[in-house]
Amino acid sequence: MKIILAICFIFLVNCSLAQTTIQGVVKDQKGETIPGVNIFLKGTFEGTSSEIDGTYILETKEEGDFTLVFQSMGFKSQEFEVVLNGSLHTLNPVLKEAINEMTAVTISAGAMEASDEKRAVVLRPIDIVTVPSAMGDIIGAFQTLPGTANVGNDGRLFVRGGDATETAIFIDGLKVGNAFGTTASNVPTRTRFNPNLFKGSFFSTGGYSAEYGQALSSALALNTVDFPVRNQGDISIMSVGGGYTQTLAGEKNSLTASANYFDLSPYQALVKQNFDWERAPYGWDAEVSGRKKWGKKGVVKAFVHTEANGMKIWQPLPDSDERGQLVGVQNQYTFAQTSFRQLGENDWSYYGGISYSNNVDKFDIAQMELRNQNQLVHSKLAAIKGFSEKFSVKTGFESYLFNYEEALISEDLKRDFRDHHTILFSEADYYFNNRLVFRGGIRAGHSSLAGQSWLDPRISLAYKFDNNGQLSLAAGQFSQMPVEQLRVLEQSTQNTRADHVILNYFLVKNGRTIRAEAFYKDYKNLITYEVAQLFPMPLGFDNIQQNGEGYARGMDVFYRDQKSFKNTDFWVTYSFVDSRRKFAHFTEMVQPGFAPRHNGSIVIKHFISSLKSQLGVSVSANDGYTYENPNLPGQMNSKTKNFQDLSLSWSYLAKPNLIIHLACSNVLGRDNIFGYQYANEPNEKGVYEGNPIRLQAPRFLFLGIFLTLSKDKNANNLNNL
Amino acid sequence: MKKYSLAIIVMMLFSLITKASNEAYEKAMLKELQNMKSAASPEDLQKVANGFARIAQMMPEEWLPDYYAALALANAGFRSEGGAHVKDPFFDQAKKHVDKAAKISPNNSEVVALQGFITMGELAVDPASRGQHLSGLAMQTFGKAVDLNRQNPRAIMMLGQMELGMAQFFGQGPEKACGLVDASLALFAKEGAEAKEGNLNPTWGKAMAEEMKKNTCK
Repeated sequence: MKIILAICFIFLVNCSLAQTTIQGVVKDQKGETIPGVNIFLKGTFEGTSSEIDGTYILETKEEGDFTLVFQSMGFKSQEFEVVLNGSLHTLNPVLKEAINEMTAVTISAGAMEASDEKRAVVLRPIDIVTVPSAMGDIIGAFQTLPGTANVGNDGRLFVRGGDATETAIFIDGLKVGNAFGTTASNVPTRTRFNPNLFKGSFFSTGGYSAEYGQALSSALALNTVDFPVRNQGDISIMSVGGGYTQTLAGEKNSLTASANYFDLSPYQALVKQNFDWERAPYGWDAEVSGRKKWGKKGVVKAFVHTEANGMKIWQPLPDSDERGQLVGVQNQYTFAQTSFRQLGENDWSYYGGISYSNNVDKFDIAQMELRNQNQLVHSKLAAIKGFSEKFSVKTGFESYLFNYEEALISEDLKRDFRDHHTILFSEADYYFNNRLVFRGGIRAGHSSLAGQSWLDPRISLAYKFDNNGQLSLAAGQFSQMPVEQLRVLEQSTQNTRADHVILNYFLVKNGRTIRAEAFYKDYKNLITYEVAQLFPMPLGFDNIQQNGEGYARGMDVFYRDQKSFKNTDFWVTYSFVDSRRKFAHFTEMVQPGFAPRHNGSIVIKHFISSLKSQLGVSVSANDGYTYENPNLPGQMNSKTKNFQDLSLSWSYLAKPNLIIHLACSNVLGRDNIFGYQYANEPNEKGVYEGNPIRLQAPRFLFLGIFLTLSKDKNANNLNNL
Repeated sequence: MKKYSLAIIVMMLFSLITKASNEAYEKAMLKELQNMKSAASPEDLQKVANGFARIAQMMPEEWLPDYYAALALANAGFRSEGGAHVKDPFFDQAKKHVDKAAKISPNNSEVVALQGFITMGELAVDPASRGQHLSGLAMQTFGKAVDLNRQNPRAIMMLGQMELGMAQFFGQGPEKACGLVDASLALFAKEGAEAKEGNLNPTWGKAMAEEMKKNTCK
């Protein structure tokens, strides 16, 4: 007997001939069957998969107590204790869905994301650099997105009836002071940063996260490239200058250094200009960025950008036939930052950093010599804790140091201010399920100069439908201190305020994207002042108060299609903005000159394989800009004719590592007018004479040759995007 | 003495169990490899991947079960019909398995080549928008796999496939790509001749190389 038992013990498996069968149907919470579920007995090789109709049969010769596991993509695993005793079991489990980052609802109200993540996004980073009208300026591409207005004579980002200073720009989460180049009035400016530096961006036209503040209208967060894939050198030769970038890529760290020079003189000697230049714009910049892996999951980045540029221009005076007044601009700018990200234990993660911006402008206007300096130090430390896959909280601490100084050197006059903001923000995300998410946040701040504390609550909610479309709602309060030039005059000014409500619908399906949004913004405590002289430009500010107010309401739609036409990607945008505000020197509510009511754009990119070329077309139009004509009664009493622009571009991949890019703005040569500049005094006939404000030339022609040198002969300038 | 004999018995029993478990492992692997050969649809491949995943949870020291689970899922991704929302989940799952295999067996040319294969699959889902970003990464990964083992026919064949795509895109001749394909075919032949009964190591990819040879490198 003992021997038999022993034999049985050794050949345990073969002794027990009884077979247990477990069968059933696997369903999800909605009652739909799930195919492909992995069903197995823990600690054994025994298992099976569910069929297309969700049914399964598991036959096993094992005996005793076991754990039966059901495992499937997108669902939480479920375990059952089973006793295998040779009989037939029926088990019909209902699997609960797991929160899945890829497919779960996201809050899309106000937001437009460009990234290589697989989530549904509006644009890819590559799309940004190839918009024809952008001329390689990252902001130029954003001007073809819904909610923005094209203000050609300024060049900055105007969002939904807000002025350009109401948009804050962040790089790797840290604020950039003076992100745009300094320029003379009515000479459009550009972003200072090379678009190839960024791998993704998050552009919000309102209702954004509590992580961002000091911006009434909009936040633009740019993220720099993480780790370039190879060592390479990039040479660029352009009709306006040239540059060189060297990238050194290692396993754990990398370094990129670049230097660029531009001078518009040769170009302007060839192409006739509307403007009377004494010295065409010129400048240089140098940039170094480094990245290092920190431990297994962390990364540290550092970035320094420095540049100097200048120009001298004769600006005509409306009541004279002479060259007008000579305006000289000299700018020096430095932006430096270091940031980190690290994943901790127990679902903690941390990020933060410190940035420094220093901008020095020197203006020579007629006999006056002005100098102003704007410095900003922003530091931030934030932590995210995931309490469960459904609930996470982000909390951060920030400090902003502002230092502004302006001097009238010829008169030896000087004034300045310093301000320190202390900020605490906290935001919680709660996923009810893969379809419904709620986000609530608060941003608390204190300004030492204004002696003011504030609390801005923000909420948003998003719901995803069966067709993958999603509806989101966002609302919140936003605070922003007035511009430095006014704060230095009236140091007790408090925050201006805006309240946003946004309703958004967003659907990405089969290569097509639809995005529609309606919004209402309410402005309070806007700055008003009196001016001693209004024309040709406002001078002598007095009686600065904060009793301005206003609103902006409207809707915009965006449709993008990469599917319908072969090798063609296009998007169409329409934005309607009804904005009126009492601000600046206006004593009643007016439509601001930077807020056209109807705005539209079309961007088409078509790839022709046989020519190895991408052709680009972009069309922008709006219904005209309001301006004030002193010959007529009332404020902001006139409107320009409508604005139209047709830009074309041609990119040719001559060799895998050589790109030739040719672009031309306003191909049709339309005479666009952005407003009028009037004389301060009427002429003998009692009429105020005015000059139209135009661009420096009807067209801008850009030719660039981009050559990449590396071991991999197929690498080119666009690879790092 | 009694102690000794006890120890011997325990050791013998232990080796018996390990042997049994190894046999079960090999048996289970061979069964799933057989299933993979006959799997046609993404659903079949998902079942095969499930099978390998079951073996992986039993044998956490072996890289092959995770490797094959990843391969089956990647093939399911390639063969499934539909957009990114259908294909991407397969590649995401495949990545999880291949990364686990890479952890168990670091600097393994086969595992690195499979990582590149998965990247190639993600690229194929949406070449227009992922091409610029992922083609460099795929190239680099295959290059690393070749560096790790210059005798790995799969790494060489897939590097050739990427080169071919690049050459076609830029209107260049397929010579370089075809050189790689020929080199891989020679290695495949060698691998085939050396393969023993019951081999568990990767041997797939020959058909792909032959297809390329037939279609482009006559």
